[in-house]
Amino acid sequence: MFKNYLRTFWKIASQNRLFTFLSLFGISLTIMFVMILSMTVNKVVKGSGPEKNLKHILTTGRLKVRTQEKGGNEVFSQIERYVGEDYLKKIKSAEHISMFYSYTWEFLRNGIQYTTGFMVTDAEFWEVFDFEFVQGKPYTNDDLRTQTNLAVITEGLKEMFFGDVDTVLGKTIRFHDYLLTVWGVVKDVPPTSQNLLSGLFFPYALFPAEKPNPRSFSPYSGPYTIAFKANSRKEFSAIRRDVQSVIQRIDAADPKLALVLAGPNTQMENLLAVHDPEDQEGPSAKSRKYLLWGTIFLLLPIVNLMALNFARIRERGEEIAIRKSFGASSATLRSQFIFENILLTLIGGLLGVLLSFLVVALLGNTLSIPVKAGTTVPMSFSFDFLVFGIALGVCLLFGLLSGVLPAIRMARMKPVKYLKGGEI
Amino acid sequence: MIKLENIRKTYRTQSVETLALDNINLEVGPGEFVSVMGPSGCGKSTLLNIIGLLDEPDQGLLQLEGNLITGYPDKKTARLRNRMVGFIFQSFHLIKELNVYDNVELPLIYRKMPAGERKKRVIEALEQVSLSNRMHHYPSQLSGGQCQRTAIARALAGKPAIILADEPTGNLDSTVGKEVMNILTDLNKSGTTIVMVTHDELLAKATHRIIRLFDGRLVG
Ligand SMILES: Nc1ncnc2c1ncn2[C@@H]1O[C@H](COP(=O)(O)OP(=O)(O)OP(=O)(O)O)[C@@H](O)[C@H]1O
Ligand SMILES: [Mg+2]
Repeated sequence: MFKNYLRTFWKIASQNRLFTFLSLFGISLTIMFVMILSMTVNKVVKGSGPEKNLKHILTTGRLKVRTQEKGGNEVFSQIERYVGEDYLKKIKSAEHISMFYSYTWEFLRNGIQYTTGFMVTDAEFWEVFDFEFVQGKPYTNDDLRTQTNLAVITEGLKEMFFGDVDTVLGKTIRFHDYLLTVWGVVKDVPPTSQNLLSGLFFPYALFPAEKPNPRSFSPYSGPYTIAFKANSRKEFSAIRRDVQSVIQRIDAADPKLALVLAGPNTQMENLLAVHDPEDQEGPSAKSRKYLLWGTIFLLLPIVNLMALNFARIRERGEEIAIRKSFGASSATLRSQFIFENILLTLIGGLLGVLLSFLVVALLGNTLSIPVKAGTTVPMSFSFDFLVFGIALGVCLLFGLLSGVLPAIRMARMKPVKYLKGGEI
Repeated sequence: MIKLENIRKTYRTQSVETLALDNINLEVGPGEFVSVMGPSGCGKSTLLNIIGLLDEPDQGLLQLEGNLITGYPDKKTARLRNRMVGFIFQSFHLIKELNVYDNVELPLIYRKMPAGERKKRVIEALEQVSLSNRMHHYPSQLSGGQCQRTAIARALAGKPAIILADEPTGNLDSTVGKEVMNILTDLNKSGTTIVMVTHDELLAKATHRIIRLFDGRLVG
């Protein structure tokens, strides 16, 4: 039976080229899009550069601080240095905790204006993220006790500053008013490493700790993101609980201000919430919104294919009537049509996968997907079973959703209607 | 073999109600070759469809090979159609996407029959209608007579006890029509019961018995 379905599928599909083409076209384009999107998201979420173990890292989201009374002021930002040092870094449930922030850095070099990012970090940063050192080593807390003007740079920045020289350890780099000593060189950070996109890393210990400005609206708001590295994802909930209870403690001690901290989040949660950081919705509301849009996006080709299939019912009426006359039951016909449709979508999916590779290979550098304000990701291959599984799942969903209703309708048809005698 | 008692069938459309068959009582014995005649619209096709379980009567009893047909569950009627009857239509009704071989194999597909056995039966059926040399042709590449012979091969491939032919020669010129008639006569001689609708008095005379329908009733 199965073999026969397959043969029938092939014959019907190859003799109705327009239908087959239109169906495959719709499916493969959609799957191509799904593939490219999931390849990119997969890279960002799983980490492709120094953040190899992103799976086990949670990072804090936005901190909202507002006055207690209704209709008062509120401010969204990250976390101030002392809140990190005195409270959040003391949490016991995480294996390593690091705090850092990043900005863009524009500098002139030989008359050319360059733009890169710089990151201001603690020593634990190098324990949380697995950077690959080409030269030197990370700065440790011991190092920082004797000297704070240390820097780790990327290979790209090394090229820019020093050209094609062997070792640059001990050489200095000027960052605004500071002269930093190169302590290590790391591999370039791929653009998918959205949180770590930077050319220069140096310790925040370089700047003296300041008392929070009493005149500022919120003494808790600052630039720092805190990253918590767990041994396993099982510890995530404990970390989240501890972080939130710390924030609640600060909140309770302050009669004037109320604090709400988003997260700490996984990379997927961060990714889903990044587009509109001022948004008050948490990542879960955001993900629901994306899910909704994704569903609508996928529903379109499904409805399309379903319409094509419905239109074909009439066309295949005679075939169905003939099959029924010679002993096909409605159930048999139903499974035949569903089978045909799923096979068609799978072929379309396969074409879509190949197309996505082709597109990425040809246009990878031109096409890019924005992952964060100001950051785009040029596409490149990152084929893994997750991505493939997503494409396969979407395909099967397609085949089922677009096939079942028309198949039921088709199989239910009364044969006499299509078996009128008369001229052909 | 075939027994109809008080069979009645009406078709309803939004405005009109047509009494297609009115109180039909009919018995066809095993090995009989019966032709059904009557003016257009008198209910000949309806009669055949009801015998072949393609349509349900509103009223009355139908027996096929001693089985009383009650209720029309989809799976069961499909099975009975597959085992007991072979249809031949005026406009052939071959599946255009399939070649001659695949079309003839159709009734065997819906049985659990090993592929080797199916192949043997298909070739046998094609030999019976002298079409083994056209196995890989598609319906569009065949003449009307060849199409009808393919359809006959399909009807007999499953070795059904009953063949229901609705104007099998209606779309063919008279010489080709005679060829088709000869095949049916041979088939009947080897024991198959045949009910054939025709407008051709000459062909009808060559059968054992003529049944005449007028406005949904048996006459004569
Ligand atoms: N599906 C249907 N819906 C409504 N009326 C129908 C339907 N099928 C048949 N009829 C009507 O039932 C009557 C009998 O039709 P049937 O097809 O059995 O006639 P016939 O004797 O085979 O005619 P012909 O010689 O033209 O093939 C006709 O009046 C026809 O209009
Ligand atoms: Mg008729």
